[in-house]
Amino acid sequence: MPLNERLLDVRGLDVSYGKLKVIFNVSLHIDNGEVVVLVGRNGAGKTTLFRSISGFLKVDEGSILYKKQKINSFKAFEVAQIGIRYIPQDKHVFSTLSLRENLELASYSIKNEEWEPVFEYFPMLRELLDRRAGNLSGGERQMLLIAMALLGKPDLILMDEPTEGLAPHVITDLTAAFKKIRQNTTLFIIEQNLPLTADIADRVYSMKEGKIVQETSDKDEIKKLMFEKYL
Amino acid sequence: MWKKAIDNLIPLFITLLIVILRFTFPNKLSFFTEVAIFSIYVMGNNILYGYIGLVSFGQPFYLGVGGYAVAIFLAYVGHSPIIALFLGILSGVVLGLVLGPSFIRLGSSYFALINAALCAIGVFIFERLLIDITRGNDGLWFRSRMTKLPLLDIRLPQNFFIFVVIIFFFVLLLYRYMDRSTLGTMFRSLKNNEEKLRFIGFDTFKVKWVGFTLASALSTFAGALYAINFGFVNPSLGENTRAVEVIVATLIGGSGTVYGPFFGALTFLGIKDIVSRLITRWELVVGILTIIVLFRFSKGIWGSIQQYIGVLREKLKLLG
Repeated sequence: MPLNERLLDVRGLDVSYGKLKVIFNVSLHIDNGEVVVLVGRNGAGKTTLFRSISGFLKVDEGSILYKKQKINSFKAFEVAQIGIRYIPQDKHVFSTLSLRENLELASYSIKNEEWEPVFEYFPMLRELLDRRAGNLSGGERQMLLIAMALLGKPDLILMDEPTEGLAPHVITDLTAAFKKIRQNTTLFIIEQNLPLTADIADRVYSMKEGKIVQETSDKDEIKKLMFEKYL
Repeated sequence: MWKKAIDNLIPLFITLLIVILRFTFPNKLSFFTEVAIFSIYVMGNNILYGYIGLVSFGQPFYLGVGGYAVAIFLAYVGHSPIIALFLGILSGVVLGLVLGPSFIRLGSSYFALINAALCAIGVFIFERLLIDITRGNDGLWFRSRMTKLPLLDIRLPQNFFIFVVIIFFFVLLLYRYMDRSTLGTMFRSLKNNEEKLRFIGFDTFKVKWVGFTLASALSTFAGALYAINFGFVNPSLGENTRAVEVIVATLIGGSGTVYGPFFGALTFLGIKDIVSRLITRWELVVGILTIIVLFRFSKGIWGSIQQYIGVLREKLKLLG
């Protein structure tokens, strides 16, 4: 797909939990090759938006278009299979399985056995293949989750607070990895870490009380953290 | 390399253990025949509980269906025990495919209860609704209509033991293969984190359905073997009061493990056999043992053995 072509187009999205409406008329877009960051306070609706896009929550109104195809009614596994991978905030891996088995499962689901490109981003995973995933550190788990998401070269990865709770040196490693990953994959990230956001984001959406309240695409404004007021 | 070789030989060791025990205790032929059959039954439940994470209080229903599939075929239709066993397995596959889509949508507790309800309905069907065919509590007898196999007359208990042990060996090999395959990994992952499995692109509904169908097929297969072993079937085979037996055996052996079902079956039936001669309510000892296992050895017999072997291996590594 050519760079800058529209990859994801969300239009007028409304999402509720039962009778409680949490997303109000949200519209946004992600172009191919971009790194877009979504910021906002806790409870702003960021994770709900990600879960809606990735097929875990039913949409009340509006449309989610991926490569011009409407995917509102797609189930989560179908969304993953068409090339959108979601890495949730909880950092849950298959803890009783080894790292190798985790990767094997992810490979099997998308029928892709090529692990080498993933090891280029995270070489340390190669050394940990036989370790039980439940015994990995937080940073290693996050790397494994990203590695699993990257198998099969997806077009878009949604990451929910990938650096939350990680040590500063791990965040530095992850930031470097994101810069490499972005050369092949579009990233849509929920992030509260402002320096990281300023470092990698091409555009920033700010969310408040279930609505998109600001879009920042000016590099200087991003560097100056103009969206900070929404955090 | 040694580790792998030993690992590959475990199914053979276990099968040989049954044979050795049978010849060590020659008057316990029917007991060891039952151990082999009950192990297959526990393997089915282990897929549900140990791998997928679904508790079923209705497994005797599937056992009963397998038993009656064999009995009805041999009593009214044909004479070949092989075809009858095949029908026994087929009945489980059909049940799994038909009931699966509605049952596996339910949460774990509802799944347990709906299976219990099904079990109660099953007993009513076997005992009352189809009484003209099943002959109700009198049971359906068919041994005299059964032909012998070309190489083995399985109507004789000692030959049926050999037949069952051979079947047990191959089922164990297939079970081990399943455990090591991606399917086994998917089952375990389902119990571990179903949502995550969907994130990476798996249709977890289908994975559960396959697991449910496999479990049903193993249970009906065990029921079919029970039927041929007894030469008759009555509704008590499918009674829901016996639903806990298979769950307890799964727990004692080590849920979610390949060889746990065998150790669970051997221990459960062993306790039942020994204690029932001393006290009428043998369930008391099984109950106490289950509590001990749950509190002290939650990994069960095989799970604990694996754990101790792992610790021992680490210690040996440290010693150089």
